[in-house]
This record gives sequence, structure tokens and C-alpha cells, in this order.
Amino acid sequence: MGVRRGRLEGANTMTDQSGVLTDVRRGMIPAHIYNDRELFELERERIFGRAWIFVAHESEIAKPGDYVVRRVLEDSFIVARDEKGEIKAHFNMCLHRGMQICRAEMGNASHFRCPYHGWSYRNDGRIVGLPFHQDAYGGEAGFKRKGQRLLPAPNLASYNGLIFISMDPDAEPLEDFLGDFRFYLDYYTKQSKSGIQLMGPQRWRVKANWKIGAENFAGDMYHTPQTHTSVVEIGLFREPKAEKRKDGCTYWAGAGGGTTYKLPEGNLDERLRYVGYPQEMVDRMKQSLSEDQLKVVGEDGFMISAASAFPNLSFVHNWPRVAESDDVLPFISIRQWQPISENETEVLSWFAVDAEAPEEFKALSYKAYLMCFGSTGMFEQDDVENWVSLTNTAAGSMARRLLLNSRMGILEDDTEVVPALTDEQFHGPGVAHTGYGEYNQRELLNRWADHLEEPVTAVSTVEVGGPGARPAVGQEPAGAATAGGTATSTAADQVGAQA
Amino acid sequence: MSTPTTARTTPGTTPAGPEVTPVETASTRSVLGGHASRLQRVGMTLPFGDERHLAAHQWLVDEAWLLDAQAYSDWLALLTEDIHYVMPVRVTTALGAGFDTSPGMAHFDEDWYSLSRRVARFLTEHAWTEDPPSRLRHHLSNVRTFATEDADHLIVDSATLLFRNRGDVHEGSLVSAGREDLLRHTPEGWKLARRTIMVDDSVMRMQNLAIFL
Ligand code: FES
Ligand SMILES: [Fe+2]
Repeated sequence: MGVRRGRLEGANTMTDQSGVLTDVRRGMIPAHIYNDRELFELERERIFGRAWIFVAHESEIAKPGDYVVRRVLEDSFIVARDEKGEIKAHFNMCLHRGMQICRAEMGNASHFRCPYHGWSYRNDGRIVGLPFHQDAYGGEAGFKRKGQRLLPAPNLASYNGLIFISMDPDAEPLEDFLGDFRFYLDYYTKQSKSGIQLMGPQRWRVKANWKIGAENFAGDMYHTPQTHTSVVEIGLFREPKAEKRKDGCTYWAGAGGGTTYKLPEGNLDERLRYVGYPQEMVDRMKQSLSEDQLKVVGEDGFMISAASAFPNLSFVHNWPRVAESDDVLPFISIRQWQPISENETEVLSWFAVDAEAPEEFKALSYKAYLMCFGSTGMFEQDDVENWVSLTNTAAGSMARRLLLNSRMGILEDDTEVVPALTDEQFHGPGVAHTGYGEYNQRELLNRWADHLEEPVTAVSTVEVGGPGARPAVGQEPAGAATAGGTATSTAADQVGAQA
Repeated sequence: MSTPTTARTTPGTTPAGPEVTPVETASTRSVLGGHASRLQRVGMTLPFGDERHLAAHQWLVDEAWLLDAQAYSDWLALLTEDIHYVMPVRVTTALGAGFDTSPGMAHFDEDWYSLSRRVARFLTEHAWTEDPPSRLRHHLSNVRTFATEDADHLIVDSATLLFRNRGDVHEGSLVSAGREDLLRHTPEGWKLARRTIMVDDSVMRMQNLAIFL
């Protein structure tokens, strides 16, 4: 009954939120969405219970046995490369009494042994050891050890080595989910055929709502001249004025969007060298990127900078000075805004670099990253201060009376202040605009509204070696996994977790 | 630069006790510490009455005051030009893993240039994260001093607990860390030539590290 009632309350809550979603869709943002318990519960169920969520990059688990432990909200997954080299993700809970099996963040292991009673599992999830199997259960007759495995992530897939989990077994394929944003993802993750190496993450908690960072990275070029004045003043950037940003464009395509800088005149090679790529890396980019991807830089003159993919994965690419010299050097960071609650976020910030880059470039690019972003980054310091403050202010009753204007870039009749770039001006997919605008923040929140509006489908449960396992029924409401009594297929029959 | 593959076999970085001479420094293990002095401690803790210990201890207390006061220009003047200032990212690993810092990643991995930019930023009028400023208190303890092979250099271990509070809404936050410093005697007095900060959090509970430890 408890489950059923919770479900009805969920439905009522949804009715109450329809006004919020309508406002969001016309670019008027009810300020409380940045600190609202009920909305967070809906986000948990309808966004993080369905969307593809980044967990790791293949380079973090390069060798057989390498693993990292990563979360999707509260759910802990062991993301491991098994002895065959395949990538697997399993729920980090022992099948016996539910102990967390792996309590390290990372390492290399062929097996995981549960500390509680000693059941052990191979790194591909299969159970291998069950102490006193015969004495305790009467062997296979009482408990079928054979075929049992840790609960796999409901859905697992990767793009350019970026590994994602979806909590929805029927999720659309990752490539469809990302859509044309993949075109832009490649700039960050496919500068050569070898792809990136990921270092980190630095992890820290901020008292801010997770959506704010995602929106900021998606398209907020407007904050740069104000928020980041100090970084320009200390000579970290070659461009003297942060206002240069309005010459760049923002684009939105598929599940994500981002910002770009306008580059000075020059051909493709000159423009890539201008931001600090050595010629050998330029040559490799010309091999691994598509003709249109190269045209965006070489012909259109735009260089990607920050970006976000719905719901909570962001990217940044910038090129500061890293020593007393006029030379600049580019870096890439990938970061995740992992929600803890409606007013707290764990930031995971990685440094990414092309695996084939010269060693000296890798070191200096890392230096550039540390100076600009991450736990100590000089950009990030001021960003976070804003987001914490915004979240605080959104908590009370006044924020429920205020609709924030997120309509920058469009007139009252929804026509654009500056028309979108034509296919000739911008060779990337999606829609791009120069000048300041909040197109991408609106796109991101529209997706947010779409997800919140649509109920999630039921989840099935898994019975661990119970009597007479029955087939999946899949009719229980979301969240029923803990209610018990819903016998479905055995763990071994669940959706595979092949990368 | 270490790749994850090779770095994962790097030995652990738990600060060594007085009887163990570390075979390498955190600087040599970090990505950007190649330029740092390799000097290491020699022998046991100096007696607390030893003049070298007294000098080192006073230096640390004076430095803590500068950091509390955010007197960062004065602080920068206490660093040598070949300074390496590193704060690895700590990770939870199995006891036998042989490492407990994130391979190839740190919070700080700084030389004089990058530290000078951080200080310069705080001195602009537009470093919003510290305007209004935080209230800071660096609590210093467990100071132990060691000789090195060079009479002009001392190694100092210490513990620091930073309390930081901002505004009037959130509780203050804490960072606890152990430090190993290399102090160098110069014509202008003792200066910091190398610092390793072993923070005790794997997930920092502070909104940013717009501070120094
Ligand atoms: S809970 Fe894991 S073996 Fe019992
Ligand atoms: Fe920013």
C-alpha cells in the first residue's frame, strides 16, 4: 500500500508542477526550481531514472581488472574492465545481505569479495565463491550459485570511450539520445584516433543546485565579462577583453549545446595553432575529425569552448597562458554535476587530453586546467560563488513569486534579436547564433520539462535464487524494487551490460 | 606525464614516519614537480629545544597568520623561485593497492608563476569569490623538524586544520591536512622551497579552494 500511495502523491505533484513547466517553456523561470524538494524528487525519478548518465571514460580503466566505483544519484556501480577486456557495470551491492562489495574508489582486481560473509564475484559480475554452500544451503539444490551475477546496470553504452549508464532498460540508444551533439563531443574527445586520456576526477561538494552549472556551461557567454574579470586582469588570456565573447556563437544540437569563441582570420592550421595546438596535433585532428567539423574552425572561424549535454555533463576548452610568455596552451575538462539534493551538488571534474599528444603538451595542458578549472581553478572559484548564492536565495517563499527572465536573444513575439547563422556561416548541425543569448539555457530546461512531464515506465525486480523464479512482469510502479514480492527473471537473464 | 596505466603501480604516498627515509618525494611523483628540490629528511625528529626546530616552528606560525589575514603578497615573498606546491587528490583504495592519491591529478600542482597568478587575482578588485572575504583560521599543530644533508635546508612536518566561513547562511567548512615542507635558509631568511599537502578528504567539503594551506 505504501508504494501505491506514494505513486498517487507523485501524480498529484505532477499536476501541481504543470504551471512551472509551462512557464519554463516560455522562457520564464520560476526561481524556486533551483531549490525545490518536490521538483528534485521528480528529477530523481524522471530524469536520473531515465536519461543516459556519464560514469567514466574507458581510459580510466585501461587494463583488465581496472575498476572505478561511480554513482548515479545514490546508486553505486562498479565500472570494470573484465579479463576479456569488456567493460561491465554492476550495482555495488552483494546479492546475499546487501553489503556494499567494493568500498574503494578505484583499483585493479580480478575478484571482489564481500567483507560481510565472504561471497565473492569475478570482475565480470559472476559469483564464484559462496562459503559453506553445501552446509548452509544444501548446495545447488537450495541456492543456485551457477549463473548468479551482480545486478547489472540497466543499460550501458559508450561513445568515444565515454561510458554512460541509463537506469531505464528500455532507454533509447545512447547515440540517438546524444543525437547531433556527438558532432561537438568529438572536438573534446576525438582529437586523434586514440581519443582522450582522462585524469582525476577532483571531487568536491557545493551548496548549489545541479542545474545551474549545466545551464552555465551550456550557453552563458554573458557572464564571462563580469564574473571572470579578474582572470582577464591578471593576464591569463591573450584576448584583452572578456567582451570578445559576443563575437563567438552558441549552438544547440541534439542533447546538448555550447559556446564558441570567434578566431582571428587565418586558415585551419593557423587557427588551431593560434589556440596553442602544435602542428603534429593539428595534423592528427585533420585525420580524425570530419570535413564539416574542420570547416567550423577553418572556414567559419569558431573554436568550441564550454558545453553541456543534458542532463548533467559539461565540457570546457580554453587556452590560457601557462608561463611568463605570450604563448597559450589549450586544455579540456569534462565535468559532472552530480546531484546530492535540491541544494547540494558533488562536482566531479576531470582533465582530458588527447592520448597521442606530446608529453610536454600533456603536462602544460594539465597546468592550464589546474589554473583555470577544477577545485582550485580561478574561473571555477567565482562561478561556484555565484551558484551557491543563487541556490540560497531560491529557497524561500519570495522565490516562488518571481519568474526569472531567461529570454535573452528573443523578442516578445519570440523572433530572434540576431538571426541564426546560415549553413554557409556555420557548418555544424543544430542551430547557432552569434551574440549574447539564452537559447541554450532554454533548450536545456525545455528538455528538463519534457522529462519531468513524462512518467517513467515501471521497473522490474530481480530475485536472487528464490524458489521458482518467474518471468518479468514489469507492471509495478517505479520504486517498487524495494517492496518485495514481485518475482521476475533471475539476475542472469537481465539485460546485458556490454559496452 | 604519467598515464593512468603506468601511474597506478606507483607506490603509496602516505607520509612516512621519522624512522623511514622516503625514496621519492610527492613532487617527483606529481606531473609538474620535476623542477623541485629532491632534498629529503635525514635522521630523527630534532629535539623541540633545537634552534632549528624553533626557527621552523616560528616560521610556520608566522606564515599561518599571513594566510589567515589573506596577506598574500607577503606570503608570496616567503616562497623561493623554484617553489613546488602540490596537493594531491586523495582517493579511497584497498589497503594493498599501493597508492592512495589519484594518478596524474592534484588540486594544486604549482610553480612560482601559477601561484603568483593566483595571488595577483586576489589582489584585483574582481575576485568575487573572496569579496566579501571568508573568515579563515589555520590551526597549526604536530610540528616536527628534520635536518637534511644540506645545513641550509630543513624539512618540517605539520598538521593544519583550516576553518573557513562565509556569509551568514552556511556553516563553516573544514579542511584537514598534513604537510611536509622544505625550508631553505636565504639571505632574506627562511623561505618555502617545496610543500606537499596531504589532505584528509577524498571529496572536498569546501565550495572551492580559493585559499592556501
Ligand atoms: S552480505 Fe555479502 S556475503 Fe553476506
Ligand atoms: Fe564561468
